[in-house]
Amino acid sequence: MSGFSKKNELAARRSYTYRLTRRQFLIATSAAALAACSPAAVTPGASGSAAPSATAGKMLKLGQLLPATGVYTELGNSMKRATELYLDQNDRKLAGRPVQLIYEDDANVTATGIQKTQKFIDQDKVDAMLGVVPTPLAYGIRNAVHAAKLIFIDTNAGGNFLTRDIPNCTPACKSPYIFRASFSSYQISYPIGDYLSSKGTKEFFLAYANYGFGTESAGDFMTGLKKNGGTTTGNVAPPLGNADFAPFVTQIKNQPTKNVYSFFSGADAIGFIKTWNSLGLPAAGYKMYGAGFLTEQDVLKEVKDLANGAITSLFWAVELDNPENKSFVSAYQRQYTLLPDVFAVQAYDGMHALDEALKKIGADTSDPDKVSKALEDVSFKSPRGDFMFDKNTHNPVQDIYIREVKTQNGQTVNTISDKVAKVTDPGK
Amino acid sequence: MSPELLFEQALNGLSFGALLFILAAGLSLVFGMMDVVNLAHGAFYMLGAYVALSVVQRTGSFWLALVVAPLALGILGVILEPLLLRRLRGRHLDQVLLTIGVSLVIVDQIGAIWGREVRSLAAPAGLDGSVPLVGGEYPVYRLFVIGFGVLLAAVVSVVHQRTKVGMLIRAGVEDAEMLGALGVNTDRLFAATFAVGAALAGLAGVVAAPVFGLQPGMDGDALIYSLVVVVVGGLGTLGGAIAGSALVGPADTFGKVLFQEFALAVIFAIVALVLLFRPTGLLGRIRVAR
Repeated sequence: MSGFSKKNELAARRSYTYRLTRRQFLIATSAAALAACSPAAVTPGASGSAAPSATAGKMLKLGQLLPATGVYTELGNSMKRATELYLDQNDRKLAGRPVQLIYEDDANVTATGIQKTQKFIDQDKVDAMLGVVPTPLAYGIRNAVHAAKLIFIDTNAGGNFLTRDIPNCTPACKSPYIFRASFSSYQISYPIGDYLSSKGTKEFFLAYANYGFGTESAGDFMTGLKKNGGTTTGNVAPPLGNADFAPFVTQIKNQPTKNVYSFFSGADAIGFIKTWNSLGLPAAGYKMYGAGFLTEQDVLKEVKDLANGAITSLFWAVELDNPENKSFVSAYQRQYTLLPDVFAVQAYDGMHALDEALKKIGADTSDPDKVSKALEDVSFKSPRGDFMFDKNTHNPVQDIYIREVKTQNGQTVNTISDKVAKVTDPGK
Repeated sequence: MSPELLFEQALNGLSFGALLFILAAGLSLVFGMMDVVNLAHGAFYMLGAYVALSVVQRTGSFWLALVVAPLALGILGVILEPLLLRRLRGRHLDQVLLTIGVSLVIVDQIGAIWGREVRSLAAPAGLDGSVPLVGGEYPVYRLFVIGFGVLLAAVVSVVHQRTKVGMLIRAGVEDAEMLGALGVNTDRLFAATFAVGAALAGLAGVVAAPVFGLQPGMDGDALIYSLVVVVVGGLGTLGGAIAGSALVGPADTFGKVLFQEFALAVIFAIVALVLLFRPTGLLGRIRVAR
C-alpha cells in the first residue's frame, strides 16, 4: 500500500494544479449535495420566547417524533398520514383548540431522537408529544420526558418496560406522563401462546429476530405456552435485518417440531416467508405462527398467498368488522388511495385519546398532572374495538385477535378466527 | 449436524458466496485499476435492483432486467468517472470521500423515485420452483445463482488472462502511469473500468433481488459484505475476489447457525485473522512503491 501514500504526497506537492479542478468539482456537485441534505423535518412557524399556550382557544402545540429517513421511514409515513387524517376530520382542532404540529425526524438513531425530544421540551415548548417507533428510543427519552412532565403518547414502541414498575427504572419504567396507544410486546405474544396451548397445540420451535423486541416477544410467547403445559424444542435467532434466511430456515426444516412461532417484521418477515416457501416447508408439513407483524399489510402486499395459513395475533386487522374500523379504513383509503396498516391505527388512536382527554378538562394543558388524570379516564370506540388505558400502567387494555392469512377474491388478508378479550399487560 | 443438513447448508453458503463474488468483483476491479475504494458500490447494487424491479413491472421479463440494469449502471459509471472522479485523480482519499457523496445522492433519489417501502422481486418463471435434493426440496433459483456466479468467474478469468482488454487491465493494475506513457489512453481505460465495476454491481443487484428483496439500507449491507470479501481475498485482484467470496459465503452461513449469538461477528473475526496473518489478504500482492 506504500504506492498509495506516495501518490498522495505527489498530489499534495502539486496541489496548485488542482485549484481550478476543485472549483469545477464544486459547481458540478453542488446541486447533488443540496439534494443529499433534503429537509427531513418540517418545522412550521417560529417559536422560542412565547410562553406555552395553555388555555382553550389558543394554539395547541404537538410534537411528533417519527422516522422520516432510515429503515422505518414507511412506518413513520403511515403514522403521519393517520395523524393528518385525524386532524382533517376534526377541523384541524383538538377539543376546540387549533393544532400546530411539529414533525421531527429521529432518522432511526437513538441519540438524534433524544436531541429532538429535548428540542420539543426546551425550544418548541410543546403541550404534548406523540410518536416514537423503536423501543430503544422510547426508553432513551423516558427520563427526559418524565422530568419535564411532558405528556408523551407512545404510538408504536412496544417494549414491556415502558409501562411497568421496574426497580431502579432500568432500562425504563412507567411514568405518570407516559401513555401508550399501541401495545406492549407481552400483549401480542403471550395471549397467542396461551391460546394455542389451551387448544391443544403444545409443542413449538422458535424463530425470532435477535434483538431486544424479538427476544422479549419470544419470551412472552413461551410464558403463555407453558401456562397450559406447552414446551419449546429449540430456536433459531437471525440477527435483525438479516439478509439471507436460507441458513436459518434450513435449520428449521431439519428438526422435527412442525409448529414454528416466529417474530419478524418488515423486510425480515418478507425474507423469512419467501425462504420458508422456497425451501418447501409447507409441503413438508411445517406450520407458521407468529406475532401479528409477521403478516401485516406491508408484508402481505409482497408475499401474497405465500403466507396463506399463517396464524398470528394482533389487536387489529383491516378486515376487523366494526363500524369505527369500516369508516376509518374507507376514510383513509379515500384520502391516500391505499389501505391503512396497524401503525396508522396506533397514531390515529393516539390523537383520538389526547382529543378525548382534553375535552374532559376544557382543553387546559397548563397542568400536566390534570392532563394525565384525564387521559387515564379516556374511553372510546377505536377501529380496534373499545379503547381505554390501564390506569396503573397507562398501557391500553385491548382485545387480541387470532388471525389466519387467507387469499379471498385475489386479495390476501388476515381473517379473524377468534379473539382473546381484554388483555391487560401484567405490569403493576 | 447430519450429512443432509451439512449438504444443504453448504449449498446455502455457496449460493451466498456466488452472489458475493458478483458483487465484489466490480469493487475489486475498480480498486485494482484506479486505487479508489468505491464506497458508492453498494448504492450501485441497490440501483441495479430497483431498475430491475421497474423493468420486471413494465415488461414482466426478468431476463430483460438482467441485461438492462447492468447496462444502465454501466452508462451511469461512464458518465460519473469523467464528470467527477477524473477531476480528483491522484487524490485517492478525496475520491473515496466523493464516492460516499455519490452514494448518498443515489440512495436518496431511489427513495424519492421508488419509495421507501420494502419490495420484493419474484424469481423468473422456470427458476421459481424447487427440485428434490438430498435433505428435501431445494429452490432452483439458488442453484441458478451458484451456476451464474461460477460462469461469471470463468468468463471474467478468461477475459482477464487471454484477451487484450485483460492485458490492459493487468498492466493498469501494475502501473497505470507507465501504461499511459506507452501510449494507452488511460482516461478511456479508467472510464471503462469504472463503468464495468458499476455494471457488475448492478448485475449483482438484479441477481440478488429475488433472494434478498429490496429495501432501504440494502446498500450499506452490500457494501460491507463486498469490502469484507475484497479485504479477505486480497485487494484489487480477481483471484482475491474469487477466494474471498468462496471463503466468506460459506463461513457466514455456517457461522450464523453454529454460533448464533455471534452471527454478525463471525465474518469480522475472519477479517481480523486474515489481516493479522496475511495483511495483503489471501491472494493479495504487496504493491511496489512507485
